Amino acid sequence: MLAWLARRLALATVTYAVVTVVLFFLMRATPGDPLQRLDDDRPMPPAERERLEAIFGLDQPPLVQFQRFLGGLVQGDLGTSIEFYPLKVRDVVASRVVPSLLLGTAVLLVNFTLGVWLGVFQARRRGKAVDRWLTRIALTGYAMPSFWLGLMLVALVAVEWRLLPAGGFTSPLLRADASFAERGLDVLRHLILPTLTLSVVTIAVTTRYQRTALIEVLRRDYVQAARARGLREARVVWRHAWRNALFPVLTLFGLWLPILVTGSVFVEEVFAWPGLGGLAATAIGSRDYPVLMATALLASGAVLLGGVLTDLAYVWLDPRTQSA
Amino acid sequence: MRPSPRILLAIAALVLAGPLPAQRAATDHGTITIVLGREPTLPVPLLSYASQDLDVAALLFLPLARIGRALETTREDRFEPGLAQSWTRRDSVTLAFDLDPRAKWHDGKPVTARDVVWTLAQARDSTVAPVTALLLRRITSVTAEGDRRVVFRFSHAYAEQMYDAVFHAPPLPSHLLAELPFSEIPGSAYARAPVGNGPDRWGRVETGRQVELVADPSFFLGEPKLTRVIFLLVRNAEAQINMVLDGTADAFEGFLIARDIRPVMNRPELTIRTFPSLSVGYLLFNHAAPGDGARPHPILGDPNVRRAIAHAIDRPRLLRAVFGPYASRAEGPFGRASWVRRIAPEGPDFDAGKARRLLAESGWRDSDGDGVLDKGGRPLRLSLNYPGTSIPRVALAEPIQGMLRRIGIQLDLVRLDGPVWAQRRGQGQFDIDFSQASLDPTPSGLVQSWSCAGIGGTNVGRICSEAFDDALHRAIEAAGDATEPWRTAIRTLQDQTPAVFLFSPADVVVLHRRYRQVSFRPEARWADLWRWSVDPARRLPRDEPPKP
Repeated sequence: MLAWLARRLALATVTYAVVTVVLFFLMRATPGDPLQRLDDDRPMPPAERERLEAIFGLDQPPLVQFQRFLGGLVQGDLGTSIEFYPLKVRDVVASRVVPSLLLGTAVLLVNFTLGVWLGVFQARRRGKAVDRWLTRIALTGYAMPSFWLGLMLVALVAVEWRLLPAGGFTSPLLRADASFAERGLDVLRHLILPTLTLSVVTIAVTTRYQRTALIEVLRRDYVQAARARGLREARVVWRHAWRNALFPVLTLFGLWLPILVTGSVFVEEVFAWPGLGGLAATAIGSRDYPVLMATALLASGAVLLGGVLTDLAYVWLDPRTQSA
Repeated sequence: MRPSPRILLAIAALVLAGPLPAQRAATDHGTITIVLGREPTLPVPLLSYASQDLDVAALLFLPLARIGRALETTREDRFEPGLAQSWTRRDSVTLAFDLDPRAKWHDGKPVTARDVVWTLAQARDSTVAPVTALLLRRITSVTAEGDRRVVFRFSHAYAEQMYDAVFHAPPLPSHLLAELPFSEIPGSAYARAPVGNGPDRWGRVETGRQVELVADPSFFLGEPKLTRVIFLLVRNAEAQINMVLDGTADAFEGFLIARDIRPVMNRPELTIRTFPSLSVGYLLFNHAAPGDGARPHPILGDPNVRRAIAHAIDRPRLLRAVFGPYASRAEGPFGRASWVRRIAPEGPDFDAGKARRLLAESGWRDSDGDGVLDKGGRPLRLSLNYPGTSIPRVALAEPIQGMLRRIGIQLDLVRLDGPVWAQRRGQGQFDIDFSQASLDPTPSGLVQSWSCAGIGGTNVGRICSEAFDDALHRAIEAAGDATEPWRTAIRTLQDQTPAVFLFSPADVVVLHRRYRQVSFRPEARWADLWRWSVDPARRLPRDEPPKP
């Protein structure tokens, strides 16, 4: 087991290093002026441009820039943001981590509790009217573009009925010294609409995966045998069948784990949610190389971590997969 | 008689409920939450020129004097006192400012002449502040006479001395900064929580979310009534409007096109305020071959083609369709708020017939009947570069293409990612560039982008005309009334047709109606916020001071 884990981690580390190098040089090869946003459509004299290029190291060849980046990375310094100058990249990214984790966790939680439960519920009622209707509803949600659904929810729930805020992470008037409970409730109110939007458009996938996998397992002999022994249906499903129907859902979970850090660009934009997805989109739009590099590394790290955790879960569920 | 339990209960309820709403509302103090599209990360004068930083800095820092509301940069009698309570002209090259003795930094220290001298010394040093050093090149010395008087000396007599002295470099606190190398200030603790001398002091920042300023009740020009000023950061245009519509924010400012305004119209609690801006949008012609500055542009090098394009565009129709009432025609490289706009001659009018004649004069004919003119086998085909992130420019590009098609010009629209657009613009890789610039109130900045001296810098269209350079020099250096020299300079520029000056968008502010004494300044939108108050009858719960 340990040897397997070491091999898996080594592979992930090498992949991560390759991704880092490729990302760095790919970004520099992309056309675009990273200093464009700093002059704010005002004429920038050449001397000022030279000064700014020197600050961000853009006056150096890409190889030197890469060496500096690696040197900084080792010391935990990802440099200074261009778009958010003079803020440090780590501060800019850190300010977005909590909102991203909250939204990502909320969405994953809804997806992999309600979604799994709905999948099991439908599998047990396969072919019945309730199964057909739930499938239609879930697929309708899946077919909706997230930004459209988000805009609709904002227009109705926030702007028209004023039940929940249209966007943001907290109320702007929330006191700096607000209690934990007060702040938590405020964040929760802001979290509902983006979570709902992302969950509605994605839950169908989890439900369908779980439903299909469980239907397949429920046909197996050992499940029939359990039923023949007179066990209650709920016990047959949850104790005997469900565990073996988890593999596809786990794969899905691994694929979606990066949402914790990458967020959803569209939903973050519509709800003014200050997450990492929107930050990455801003960094791409302004060629803020340092921030772009940090968000890309976080995202690729999350993807690799998702893969490792999924493999671990496979091994936990079925130790034979180690040798695969 | 013993009061009944019901009466006692009612009295108790009244006592516990506190003062009646009407009594609570007897004050005109309140809060304001303003939606900003970009994050103010360095709201300190001299250190940043980004508009979001300047918006916040205008509340934290006062200049020696504010330019008058008509933005007449050449009229020193129209300036309004700021940190300086008065100023006197000693001779044609010397101005003396007397600081208001009540002016204080937010840490309680008095604002002194030393602060002004130190700040101007930094601003005039080209190694630390190249932008301002260029703008302040005609100031030869700034000296203190005691604690309260500062004397500016200029290289020669010219009309904008007062403007140069007060506009570009509001004083910074030398007692906090003088020990730091200037280049280290952006990364210092000071830049994270600036100490200013304006009506509001730094409150707190939540990176990526909001910046909060708190009114300074001891502000020497009067107590600000808006006790909390919150700048809320929202990048997405739809979300920005939604935050005002759902009552999260009180104000949103931007260059809006007509369709953005519609949802606001139905809200009785909101109002739309507009004021002229210093922004201008124009089609910039490349006078040189794209990517080869040494050769003239094969098509646009001919002034007749440039003039034909200018006459082919029906600007009033275009602006009505896209902006509604929220933009006006531009007559030169300056916004509607600029004082020279009021004296500028009108630019070329829409005249498609004249446009066709000009092209015919230059030998352009439709010899193959495909609807596109040609000459020597070369079609009259040009490209228009524009950033896809600019809503007005995206909306205007197609109608312009249609207007040029009618006179036989094929215009290829090249919608680009912002940084790519900027890169191609900077490298001169374009035929026509759809530019938009926010300018300072002074027209003197035309030197940078429209004169021969700007080639290799911000004159990316490589425009060079000796006649215009001479006229511009005379206007900038004019002492006394500069109106006529400026009119001549603008007319000379218009004759060269270096660009089609299309529009100056109005600054549009969507605002809650409860505010009174509302006014805006084109050069510093929110600088007058400290004069605003809240109508006591319309106060909202969010106007209450935060409860401990």
